[in-house]
Amino acid sequence: MSILRPFKANDLFRFNNINLDVWTETYGVTFYLTYLSRWSDLCFTQEAPSGRLQGYILGKAEGVQTDWHGHITAVTVAPEYRRLSLGRNMCQRLEFVSDEIYKGYFVDLYVRCNNVSAINMYEGMGYSVYRRVREYYGNLGIGKDGRDEEDAFDMRKPLSRDVLLESIRTNGRDMIVSAHDVS
Amino acid sequence: MSEAALERQIRPIYDALDHGSNKSAINACNKVLKKYPNNSLVKALKALALTRSQKVEEALVICDDILATVVTDDSTLSVMTHVLKGLARNSDMVAMFDSAFKQQPQSEELGVQTFFAHVRTGNWKSCQQVATRMHKQFQEDRYIYWSVIGAILQANERSTPQNIRTLLYKLAHRHITSCPTPSYMGVDRFHLHLIILQELQLWDEANTLLESDVGKSICSASLVCNETRRDIWRLRGLYKEEGERAQEKIKNNDRNWLEFVSVLDAAFAPVRESDTSDERKSECSQNLEKTRVSLAEIAEFDGLKHRSAPLALLELEKKALSHGITSDVNILVESMENYFSQFSDKACCFEDLRPYVDLGVEAKSRWISFLASQGLSFVTAADLQRVVNVRKLQRINLVASDISTDLESSLASKYTEEYMAGLELGSSLPVTELQHADDLAILAGHALVSLWTMTKEETHLYNAAVVLEFALTKSRMSFQIRLLLVRIYRLLGAPSLALEHYHAINIKQVQNDTLSHFHLTRASTFSLCSTGDLTYPSECIDSSQIYLSSSQDTPDFIIRAFTAEKYSQIPEFVSFDERLENSLQRDVVKLEHVRMRMTHEPMNSDLIDMELIELKFVFNRFHHDNRDFGMLPNYQPPCQPSLNDQTLMFGNSTGQGWLWYFLKIYIRAFQHASDLDDIVEEKLLIGDRPKKSSEPEVQLPLKERLAIRKPEEAAELTPDELQFVEWATVLGDWLEPYHNHTRPPPAVVLAEANKQNELRTGLPLRGVDLKALNGDANANGHAKKDEEAPPVKEPPQLVAQFFEHMHARFVQLQQSQSLPSDLLHVATLTQEAFLLFGVETLRFKTASVVKIHKLGALVQSFKDIRSKACAVLKTMSNDLLKVAEVAGSAERRKSFVEACQPVMASPKLHHDFVLNVAKNVGESRKKVLEGVAKGMVKICNNYGQ
Repeated sequence: MSILRPFKANDLFRFNNINLDVWTETYGVTFYLTYLSRWSDLCFTQEAPSGRLQGYILGKAEGVQTDWHGHITAVTVAPEYRRLSLGRNMCQRLEFVSDEIYKGYFVDLYVRCNNVSAINMYEGMGYSVYRRVREYYGNLGIGKDGRDEEDAFDMRKPLSRDVLLESIRTNGRDMIVSAHDVS
Repeated sequence: MSEAALERQIRPIYDALDHGSNKSAINACNKVLKKYPNNSLVKALKALALTRSQKVEEALVICDDILATVVTDDSTLSVMTHVLKGLARNSDMVAMFDSAFKQQPQSEELGVQTFFAHVRTGNWKSCQQVATRMHKQFQEDRYIYWSVIGAILQANERSTPQNIRTLLYKLAHRHITSCPTPSYMGVDRFHLHLIILQELQLWDEANTLLESDVGKSICSASLVCNETRRDIWRLRGLYKEEGERAQEKIKNNDRNWLEFVSVLDAAFAPVRESDTSDERKSECSQNLEKTRVSLAEIAEFDGLKHRSAPLALLELEKKALSHGITSDVNILVESMENYFSQFSDKACCFEDLRPYVDLGVEAKSRWISFLASQGLSFVTAADLQRVVNVRKLQRINLVASDISTDLESSLASKYTEEYMAGLELGSSLPVTELQHADDLAILAGHALVSLWTMTKEETHLYNAAVVLEFALTKSRMSFQIRLLLVRIYRLLGAPSLALEHYHAINIKQVQNDTLSHFHLTRASTFSLCSTGDLTYPSECIDSSQIYLSSSQDTPDFIIRAFTAEKYSQIPEFVSFDERLENSLQRDVVKLEHVRMRMTHEPMNSDLIDMELIELKFVFNRFHHDNRDFGMLPNYQPPCQPSLNDQTLMFGNSTGQGWLWYFLKIYIRAFQHASDLDDIVEEKLLIGDRPKKSSEPEVQLPLKERLAIRKPEEAAELTPDELQFVEWATVLGDWLEPYHNHTRPPPAVVLAEANKQNELRTGLPLRGVDLKALNGDANANGHAKKDEEAPPVKEPPQLVAQFFEHMHARFVQLQQSQSLPSDLLHVATLTQEAFLLFGVETLRFKTASVVKIHKLGALVQSFKDIRSKACAVLKTMSNDLLKVAEVAGSAERRKSFVEACQPVMASPKLHHDFVLNVAKNVGESRKKVLEGVAKGMVKICNNYGQ
């Protein structure tokens, strides 16, 4: 059971149980304030009734014309609250707002190519690979999973405005672009 | 020269500034200024370059020159904004834009900039006024909203009395309703409107807004508006309606817990009031039946997909019991059992059930036997999770009569054993993953810490350290294990190990504010800066960077939120800024840093004057406690303090009370030692003063405030700190009259400052009219006053005997086999007292002062105290060296390993591993004990004469 509510600036004092996890990056204050001062309606958090934060999502809206879309910048859940569909709920809410309020054509997100479990989860939620971005997570270098570790999949899910499903394609995994070509 | 030619000359100045070459920027400016001595843009650029090269005095002269005229040209204003921001002169910035806007009231850009300048200073009243003026002039809707939120922010300030608050909200309401376009044109405008109606309880108007089609549609898509809508309905008592609306949402698959809360509130709405007639009770009990059925249906439909409905059932039964609607506690226990059976393979099961375990005797025994009847196995990860949940739930069900050292010992062994068994399941996990069994190791830590609190035998802490260190080798990324180790190593007096673990968690940015208490609370106990090791002072500085960067950045974002009309964010940003800027931990660390500085920097007026001014600012703040104490898990039973409380070094943390006490001591001592009185400080200090708290106590004269002692504040001090504070108070009382008599008059101090400034910058001090002050000053600097010096008094008994008393305390701790951290606490406090004595007597080091004022006898009594203190410190130092020797010895390592037999029963915990932990602990202890001991001797040598 979780409360879904807007993410607020003061939550930065309370997100330690989420951010101390090794996979969640803690950015400078300006990063969060940038999102909140522009896309506050695309930033939510899930809170336990005890008041403990469980996870949050930060998103934005960007692009022009048929590229106008919602983007999931960060979605994270504290270790003790995983496997409760919290991430899925937050993504759904972001998709809903991107569709209803922003009237975007699709929602997209980036994920490491070797993060198979996340990719499976997103596919289960209706996302598909649109393209592979070379060296998106460049600073890691080539690790044990080779290119998969530093390359990202750009995954997309079409929204109601994209009637002809032009924002997705079936052979996305073979479409390779460099990190400079994406925003 | 033409305008184009001038522009050509100015461009390189900008380029130089962009590239950070301030020196060439200054040269370029000087060149242009030769031809155009009155060009304000170039002057401003020069001021910017000077500010950036730390030549503040020169920059200030130019600033004053520019600000003496009204600046209206955009480029100069923009450069000056940067200059004044850099010099922290926000009030000058406000004045600059104010007069510019006055002169050119038709310039919208100037209006906006003026408004933003006020935003930077947090002057919401002026914001509101400027915005109103702007709306009149430019007729743009958003300025109405700017003025509305200005009024609301002013109303929300702590210092605003209730009646003014209402008045301001009424003003905001008038403005918002006068706006030609309705508020529902924007979500944030709509939200702002709702907030006002909520505050003023204008329910009809709120209803019209919320019930309109557009209102409904906004609330369905905007979480923030829906939150306010829900609050308004609650305030109006519309629980039933809200419940029905929530039912509808749940039917449409919304599983937000807030909807379930609304359903529950609706069920118990009839018994909300204190008068609960039978009629209402029976209505409620009908509701109870209905809600039970509907929640059970949802629970069945959802199955394992959602926990909301089954948990709502638990909450329903708990509420029914507490309201006396039902007396059958068995239904609750049954729901708990059902819940456990369904979700015990989830980590959150324990947290979900925790609020319900406080049951009556009978129900409790049923619950306990249910837990005991769970067939536990370690075959799958789900099984293991179930074991963890059972153990945690069993542990929090322990009562005081159950708990004994035998029980805790056997539990510690059981948890450890099960942990080792559980590890098998995670053997193939990648190193970055957490082990499923981690919580069992943490539970073992709980039992061992509990044993330590019962017996005070530190061997239990060794065992805890060993189990947790072992768990870390399997789960490298577990921050919970590391944080618990930080605590344990600090207790054991092995700070370097604590520091290593703290660093390994990779704490960054704003987390420094919320988590640095883990390793910086009373860090001066372990600081070795007296020997030149600056580890801890650097830790203090690093963890404080966030305050500097945030106070520069956050106002920019408040402004951005205005520009983007994100009104719902503005009060949040303002509050965030306020909380970080006035963070309690910030100033606790600041004070800790001062305590460390004293041990390694020369005691002179630079240090004393600077810290005096800064500590006085700190003393005027209204603090916010952002420390996060929720990061250590807690599975201790309710009859025991939490794990967090049990593992705090010296039994408590340093909160507001501690900060106030230590501030009072240091401010007073620095005041005594300093020549800066209020007049001098006023003249010498440039830039804005930080905002002063509006608390009544802060408004009292400083002298009175420094004398306040409150028992609730004293409770945050350890007994030894309290001794220290009492001693410092008496010492201050004794010496204050002599300081006041011998302190040179302001004119002399300022003349000296002026001389120094001229030597440094070639410029006289700004704003100081020496001639006016000189009337009462004598030329030689040590003006002999008309009245005689106060008669020399013998040192009060407490002052004279303090050091011997501390020595006795030290000896007593040594004999009672206390933890090294306790020994260091007493030793470093004694050393601190010695240094504070140095500060208090610094003024009388100057022979001429003593001679002129005939204070020879006073100085003689200092010598006695000082030599006694030195003797005590040297003895303590010797003893610490001996303790250090033992701590690092092979025998101690051996006995450490022997003491760890209880956890070494597991074949996985090899002798070598334990020996290694023992070695690390021994070395770390030795290092800190030896370092502190040597530092004490060094300090004695420096200040012993």
